[in-house]
Amino acid sequence: MNGTTTIAEFRDAVLDPAKRAHYRLAWLSTVDHKRIAVLYMLTALVFFIIGGVEALFMRLQLAVPNNHFLQPDTFNQLFTMHGTTMIFLVVMPVVFGLANYVLPLQIGARDMAFPRLNAFGFWCVPFGGILLHFSVLAGGAPAVGWFSYAPLSETPYSSSPGVDYWAVALFVLGIGSISFAINTIATVISLRGPGMTMRRLPLFTWINFVNAFIIIFALPVLNAGLAMILIDRLLQGHFFLPFRGGSPVLWQHVFWAFGHPEVYIMALPAFAMVSEIIPVFSRKPIFGYEFVAASSVAIAVLSLGVWGHHMFTVGMGRPLDVFFAISSMLIAIPTGVKVLNWTATMLGGRIRFDVPMLCCIAFLIQFLVAGLTGISHASVALDWQTKNSYFLVAHFHFVAVGAIVFAVLGAIQYWFPKMTGRMMSESLGRWTFWLMVIGFNMTFVIQHFLGLLGMPRRVFTYPDLPNWGWMNMLSTAGVFFMSASALILVWNLATSFFRGKIAGDNPWDAWTLEWATTSPPPHENFIALPPIRSRRPLWDIANPDRPDPVVGEVSAAVALPDHNKVGILSFILSETGFFGALILAYLYFYARPGAGPGPKELDVPRTLVFSVCLFASSFTFWRSEMALHKQKRGSTLGWLALTIVLGAVFLGGQANEYWKLFQSGVDLSTNMFSTTFFTLTGFHGLHVLLGLITLLIFLWLGWEGDSVSSKFDSAFKAAGYYWHFVDVVWVFVLLTVYILPLVR
Amino acid sequence: MTTYQFFTTAWTWNSIVLILSALAFVGYFLAFGQRGRLLYFAAAVVVFLLAFISPFSALANGYLFSAHMVQHILLVLIVPALLLLSLPWSFSLRPSLTYFSHPLVGWVAGVGAMWLWHAPTLCNAAATSRTVSAIQTTSLILMGSMFWWQVLAPREEQRLSPLAGIVYLFSACTACSVLGIILTFAPVSICPVYQHPVDRLGMLSTIRGDWGLTSNRDQQIGGLLMWVPMCAIYVTAILAQLARWHSGSAPQTEESNA
Repeated sequence: MNGTTTIAEFRDAVLDPAKRAHYRLAWLSTVDHKRIAVLYMLTALVFFIIGGVEALFMRLQLAVPNNHFLQPDTFNQLFTMHGTTMIFLVVMPVVFGLANYVLPLQIGARDMAFPRLNAFGFWCVPFGGILLHFSVLAGGAPAVGWFSYAPLSETPYSSSPGVDYWAVALFVLGIGSISFAINTIATVISLRGPGMTMRRLPLFTWINFVNAFIIIFALPVLNAGLAMILIDRLLQGHFFLPFRGGSPVLWQHVFWAFGHPEVYIMALPAFAMVSEIIPVFSRKPIFGYEFVAASSVAIAVLSLGVWGHHMFTVGMGRPLDVFFAISSMLIAIPTGVKVLNWTATMLGGRIRFDVPMLCCIAFLIQFLVAGLTGISHASVALDWQTKNSYFLVAHFHFVAVGAIVFAVLGAIQYWFPKMTGRMMSESLGRWTFWLMVIGFNMTFVIQHFLGLLGMPRRVFTYPDLPNWGWMNMLSTAGVFFMSASALILVWNLATSFFRGKIAGDNPWDAWTLEWATTSPPPHENFIALPPIRSRRPLWDIANPDRPDPVVGEVSAAVALPDHNKVGILSFILSETGFFGALILAYLYFYARPGAGPGPKELDVPRTLVFSVCLFASSFTFWRSEMALHKQKRGSTLGWLALTIVLGAVFLGGQANEYWKLFQSGVDLSTNMFSTTFFTLTGFHGLHVLLGLITLLIFLWLGWEGDSVSSKFDSAFKAAGYYWHFVDVVWVFVLLTVYILPLVR
Repeated sequence: MTTYQFFTTAWTWNSIVLILSALAFVGYFLAFGQRGRLLYFAAAVVVFLLAFISPFSALANGYLFSAHMVQHILLVLIVPALLLLSLPWSFSLRPSLTYFSHPLVGWVAGVGAMWLWHAPTLCNAAATSRTVSAIQTTSLILMGSMFWWQVLAPREEQRLSPLAGIVYLFSACTACSVLGIILTFAPVSICPVYQHPVDRLGMLSTIRGDWGLTSNRDQQIGGLLMWVPMCAIYVTAILAQLARWHSGSAPQTEESNA
């Protein structure tokens, strides 16, 4: 070749794992789901230690009344960083890691649907974590709490860049989480092995699949909120600044519209782990598979509409309080159904009390307590009394530690043999477990009573009131047990990795597919898959005389949808949430007009002309797709080029409109209208621009002669879905921003 | 008028509604006779009557937006669902009507019924003019039936597959929630008629005073009704789809769903 590489050569060199294996840093450049999963979990472990030390410092400060071990501002930074770290850098990465490892194995897939997207999603975690912690060097960590309420988080009240780093870090982590969710959905829908129908999915896979949808809907809402607060802080917008017409309560709505589903994003994977472990160690199939599966869907759907119970003390008004109270209480039903199922699975089983099972039993008991205090917070009158007290702190730590961390501890002990080929030490595991049970309950049970006595959360110290001293001291003492437990866990992981007992393929006599392959599995996961007719394929093999009843049709050969299509549709779903939040924020302020420029400044006829260009580009793209289908290369490229030109003309029109507004002195910081207008249309324009870049890449690929492969076809279609979606969004933006003011 | 007096006397014995209901019964018997599932049909008629002759109707008639919303939900979700369930299993659409049984048409009809009739002009017109109100009622029942057809059509092969049904219902739930959220948080009146009702029954002081329903609160409750209980109906239907999915490939026999 004349010095340049063709696309095919380039692709082979970069994408073939065998050709990259010689790299010294193979673990860092890996796209293997098993290695990425381990990286996820190791990263979580590192941040778990950081977040744990932060907690230790806080508890030391609170051990005795009137303590001056820490400065108030340091304490604020510590609780902000502790909360953010534990949620976004510990729980989410570790549950994603476990799912990343186990889920493809359970469905008999070779890897996740998009291995490189998977690597991208993982690398967002260390990147986001470093961004967040870099704030410490750049003028102080954020000190506004993990939900970063406005207006405290706005520039006038938090002038150091801590909140900026916080917001950018969470934005990055949010993108990573969404990419993981897209990958999960595409994997489960498109990569199941022969015989693995949707109804035969193991519960772990099913619940993680459902969870991916909550991520897809909830995280984009957070990202929209983060974009707004960054625009406020960096571009002088006014979304959440009350004295410029903004609304701090809107931030609370946006944040909790994400924040409540987030609780379930963390809890559902824990449910998934427990649903897998309890049957295996009770030597019984799960009691009521269908109920566990369906109640997960109910939880997922309900979780999206109950965020108001975080805001009872804001003063939303009686009607909102009542409706949110009722809808929040409804969630107790599917959750209770699950607890019943797990308990009934254990009933009459030959229970083996190994460490994974011990963790699950502790999970059940502690989760029950967490659920009961949770329901108490759904009651408005009770919530008014206990909100922002240590009662609340105790409640959510019972969820986050008592339920989620215990489930994760059990899951690690359970799947560690599969990942490493060696068993974790059972005796060290018991030490970890019992120290954690003692430490956790010592720390947090007493906090319920501290809260009921009136101790508020987020205070750096407290006066020497009756009983407060010894209660806090007891709470602090518990932390040392938990620290010891964590140290033993790390020691156990390290020593078992090198010297643990050899595990064999299926050390627990479990029934799901991941135990059908070697420990650790080969790069391609399976040499051959066993026949799958029920939800416990390995049981069927071990007990040919009494197999499980066949689920669904016996020969369930189904054509799986193209993973590119599923992936891009999931992505579009998440973008819908993002734009939905932005449009609703626009309407919120549109209905409360202030002084200064408004929609009347906009040139509607001119915008309509440019809109026609954008809509026409959807048509030309469709023609291009048709031509590709008929293998007409020239015509494909011609229509594609026309699509790009039309998109560019639209962007030019938008740029022109911006320019005219700037000329007349209207920019993002002028008033609420300009803030919301530029945010909404700006983000749409950005999406058009990204679409144009994508289409240009395809034009280049087609020009180079790559348009014959079937891969090109499927990817081209996926790009088309995205392009049409961008046009559909514009329909809604056009209606809201330009047409709505005309019809009133 | 006190609350007690109101709920005992404000029954509107609307002759047109009663005659229509009677005619519907006759029509149902003529069309299906013994093959029909009468209980469902009777339930549909009872709900329909409740929506129009109970005191709720008097409230919806110019007093309370939230009462109007209850009526709206009953007519677009409950009555059509019961009507479809009352059809005999052998029932199928005439070939000329299959055009209406496309899922997209059903979805747009179901969600459109919510959005369209809450455009301020139409909402006002329906609350003031009897003709528009009659058109609204008819269209709500028709559009609701088109929506539910995808899920509750008498024969299995006419329905969406369970998983597609979940997507169908969830997206409709989301689209209605968005409208509910807008109604709940809108600072302006979406249906200005209800802001200053004409006090025909002398009830206004009771509503504003004893019940504590200011026009702002009233609209909030209306929006919340569309947002929360309506979604609860969709969620119930989603769970029914899951039950149907898990009940396997065996031919369908019994389906309970509302």
